[in-house]
Amino acid sequence: MFDPALFKLPGMRRLAVILALLAVVEGIFIIIQAQFMSVAIVGLWHLQQLGTILQPMLIFAAAWTGRQLLVVVKNRLMYPVVEKTTGDLRRQVMQKLYRLGPSYVAKTGTGNVVTTALEGIDKVQTYLMLVVIKVIDMMVIPWVILIYIAWLRWREALFLLAIFPLIIVFMIILGYAAQAKADKQYVGYQRLSNHFVDTLRGLPTLKQLGLSRQYANNVYQVSEGYRKQTLAVIKIAMLSTFALDFFTTLSIAVVAVFLGFGLIDGTITLLPALVILVLSPDYFLPLRTFASDYHATLNGKNAFAAVQKMLALPVATQRDQLGTQPLNWQADSTLSLQAIDFSYDGTQPALSTLKLQAKGYQRIGIIGASGSGKSTLINLLGGFLTPTAGQGTITVNGQSVTHLNQIAWQQSFFYIPQNPYLFHASLAENIAFYQPDAGLSAIGAAAEKAGLTAWIKTLPDGLATKIGEGARGVSGGQAQRIALARAFLDSSRRILLFDEPTAHLDIETEAELKQTILPVFKDHLVFFATHRLHWINQMDYVLVMDHGRIVEQGTPAQLAAADGAYVRLRDEMVGAI
Amino acid sequence: MKNFFATFKHDTWVMPYLRKYKKLLALTLFLGLMTFFCGSALMFNSGYLISKAARHPYNILMIYVPIVLTRAFGIGRPAFRYAERITSHNWVLRIVSDFRKKLYQAVEKQAVAIRQNFQTGDVLSLLADDIDHIENLYLRTVFPTVIALVMYVLIVLALGVFSWWFGLLMLLMLGLIVIVMPLLSVLVNGARETRSRQIQQTFYTQLTDAVMGLGDWLISGRQQAFNDRQTAPIDQISSLRRADHQFQWWRDFTIQLIFGVICLALIIWSSFAWTQNQANANWIAAFVLSVFPLVDAFQSVSQGVSEWPSYQRSIVRVNQLDTKPIDQQDQTVLTEPFSQLQVAKLEFTYPEGTRPIFKQLSLTLKAGEKVALLGPSGTGKSTLLKLILGDLQPNAGTVQLNDIPIARLQNERAQLFGVLDQQPYLFNTTIMNNVRMGNLKATDDQVKAALKAVELDHLIDSLPDGYETVVEEGGARFSGGERQRLALARILLQDAPIIILDEPTVSLDPITEAHLLATVFSVLQDKTILWVTHHLAGINYVDQVRFLEAGQFDMAGTPQELYASAPRFKRLYDLDQGQE
Repeated sequence: MFDPALFKLPGMRRLAVILALLAVVEGIFIIIQAQFMSVAIVGLWHLQQLGTILQPMLIFAAAWTGRQLLVVVKNRLMYPVVEKTTGDLRRQVMQKLYRLGPSYVAKTGTGNVVTTALEGIDKVQTYLMLVVIKVIDMMVIPWVILIYIAWLRWREALFLLAIFPLIIVFMIILGYAAQAKADKQYVGYQRLSNHFVDTLRGLPTLKQLGLSRQYANNVYQVSEGYRKQTLAVIKIAMLSTFALDFFTTLSIAVVAVFLGFGLIDGTITLLPALVILVLSPDYFLPLRTFASDYHATLNGKNAFAAVQKMLALPVATQRDQLGTQPLNWQADSTLSLQAIDFSYDGTQPALSTLKLQAKGYQRIGIIGASGSGKSTLINLLGGFLTPTAGQGTITVNGQSVTHLNQIAWQQSFFYIPQNPYLFHASLAENIAFYQPDAGLSAIGAAAEKAGLTAWIKTLPDGLATKIGEGARGVSGGQAQRIALARAFLDSSRRILLFDEPTAHLDIETEAELKQTILPVFKDHLVFFATHRLHWINQMDYVLVMDHGRIVEQGTPAQLAAADGAYVRLRDEMVGAI
Repeated sequence: MKNFFATFKHDTWVMPYLRKYKKLLALTLFLGLMTFFCGSALMFNSGYLISKAARHPYNILMIYVPIVLTRAFGIGRPAFRYAERITSHNWVLRIVSDFRKKLYQAVEKQAVAIRQNFQTGDVLSLLADDIDHIENLYLRTVFPTVIALVMYVLIVLALGVFSWWFGLLMLLMLGLIVIVMPLLSVLVNGARETRSRQIQQTFYTQLTDAVMGLGDWLISGRQQAFNDRQTAPIDQISSLRRADHQFQWWRDFTIQLIFGVICLALIIWSSFAWTQNQANANWIAAFVLSVFPLVDAFQSVSQGVSEWPSYQRSIVRVNQLDTKPIDQQDQTVLTEPFSQLQVAKLEFTYPEGTRPIFKQLSLTLKAGEKVALLGPSGTGKSTLLKLILGDLQPNAGTVQLNDIPIARLQNERAQLFGVLDQQPYLFNTTIMNNVRMGNLKATDDQVKAALKAVELDHLIDSLPDGYETVVEEGGARFSGGERQRLALARILLQDAPIIILDEPTVSLDPITEAHLLATVFSVLQDKTILWVTHHLAGINYVDQVRFLEAGQFDMAGTPQELYASAPRFKRLYDLDQGQE
């Protein structure tokens, strides 16, 4: 019920003690308020004048106000801690994300990452705000009240004490029953609830098949099925609330009847009886408010656990084996991979026993069928993936490193994927992303070299036009040119990693873009993964990949002569086989 | 207040359903009312019971009725509450079924437009979320508010019977709680909601931007800048939440204070109204105690109502959907077999655009002909397909099938055209069901034959569930090439004379592409094919090639002619073959 992780939050222990003390005070206020309201009522019951009960009424009013003020005070004490915790969590999540890098995002999904950082932490906030105060109230206030009731008359107190664990046991049992029922139906349930979105997304296809109109009834039928299943679960789920309600209200009724008999027998007078009656709903109140927010707290607890889990993920260490300044890659610089393995899940190898040497300004093409490991290799070279530890060696300029997630290495290359990401910012900011201090004239020159000038002239605000998600749409070819402009702007990065940059473009756009890309190759070490064969003609070395291995490597001429994997692959790609 | 009524003025989503299931609705409200009534009555009765018992009645039978009633109310409250929960959920879920059907029908009319929308998924999820939102509007706002208002009226009337001035006083005091405070909440929250949404949206956009561009951030080494960017929205959200909470705390505090005052007022009133004799005085405790259970019912109104602005947005959005039935006039059928598709002197400009997409464009496809359509992105290849299918109307010129305008053949489209596009959708059901969508009357053997024709039979046989394998969401169970083959099987069953291929291989690697094209053109041998493609792989399968450029065809001919006569075509072809 009370998450131990909560106590590890800074300032939480001290706060819990203060909140518990305030809860005791609140309990006392509740007793005073009940006592003096009863005194006033009993006074009237004895047919006294209004004037005689003014004092108890004022005390009641003061206690009532005090009690409500305490609620605000507790919240105000709690809130700064919650605010600081959630703010810190958000910052930590972002920092962690930076350390985990794009491979984590690829694995988890952009949507999930954003949801965790945004809604997840919102839920944590609600959770912290609700759960701490409510749990402490539940653990303190009923007992303060019960002690007073016991002091007035032990029999009713004993009854109230006995019923408390009974309620909790029943709620837990019914909660489990509902969970079991829900679990049993989960798969079908999930499918039904996703069916609607699935149908909406498939609408164009339904229309093409001439089924879209009649499918409306199917949507209705499925939704009705969903309703019936949901109700079946709700009927059981709500039973736990019913149990709580049933036992608490019935307990109050029983106490009232007990008191009634006591009064007839004369074993108790009206005042203590009334006080007990007034106090009994308050005795159950903390439990009821806790239960009513139970689901919100459950979501929050899961979100909290998810965030904690993300923060605990391991990240690459030893990122400074090459220093922290960008490498100065030159004509005689070298990169060597020997017997490197990589696996996504730790069992199935995605790359095995890789062996490659790169020197100076070589242009290295990487080809292979889809799924052969081209992209994985590029990601490994970019340091986004970490090779299996303890196997093989990687050296950069003779310096051995454990992985390529090196600060110095990463600041020395450009990575140009199939769909370069464009930030939601101006075109100039996008081009200058790697050189935020670059001047406008330098940006313009880089754009010119990347062949963007004609397009920029058609834009309303030129280089200042906002692009990226939600702003102006940019075609695939233009996106590639923007990525190239980044490389033109920053000539200090002498390594280029291309991952299928033209695979999705139409042939004419590709032909034009190629003319822009070729000049960038000069004085750069190039790794170029592609299945568009014409690029191979511009490479001076080719790696042929198959099932995670480099099955052949050499100059294009050597490979063509060898009549091996390379020749077979080429034939297959042009549809000759 | 004004925009509250404006929201419902042309509403076709909320009000009609309140009427449609009015019996169930009335039952829900009645049960909700009884829940609170029993809660209050229990305390009322208990108060009376002990007051009466304290007078030491000579016979226990004197308090027998209150004793029985106490138990009845004690059991009644949870029972009514349970029943109310079930009925209200039942009611809301019924409405959801209606909503979904209605939303589906509204979207169905715009099916083609939706496909063009870049953020398809987002729009649809948004609409689906809106429905859930309206669901909450009923459960969290409408029901509690209506129940509280009815309680309010009943209480004021009941007290008014005893004393008109006290009834009036309660009308004012409780009015503060059920009317003034909620309105105040919605006012304060409404103003804040807009700002909150903006900040939330900024943060969301920024965060998505950061996550999607994480690779670039990492390589750029700008960690500090990365962290700094998130600080401002994080702080803004914090201060906004703080203000929200502050308001809620003090609002709840005020409501509680008003209840305290109501209690005092009741005691004072009782001192005048119920102290004439001992029998009357027994009612005092009853009245005072019955107030406390009401706090719950009344306090939740403010919170529920303050959520209104977010519901309002959803209601406005779904109401903007066009739900009018489509004009079905003037439709006809093709009586003779398809002989030719003729596009003549087509002119088209998008309503919002200024640049004409087509100028005097003409194209004829005879039955059995296969034509490839190329051109750089943005030249209008997809627009041409939409004009041919009749989803768009030309500004001038005609699109005709056997001399009948395509606009008059809309009901028959699925019998005339089969479409294989970039991402054919596979529904989250079995292979059999997915393929059978091509022709619902097809036998199992026909479906299997189609799957064999597209060369999927071996793959399917190797699956543990065979033809009953579920394809999972969006067909995730299968690779891109396999998904295209499943869709192709569906088209085979559909058996339409004209097949539109809309860049079906754009996301495939060249080997998969070559194999798929070989299958496509062999199984669709006797069909008329219009193939939009992004490059020249497989171009030799077609009879004619057309290059679209600036609204017209600037290269046309058989692939062989073009290779021999057009240097540009030759260069592109060689590039595609890796020979340049």
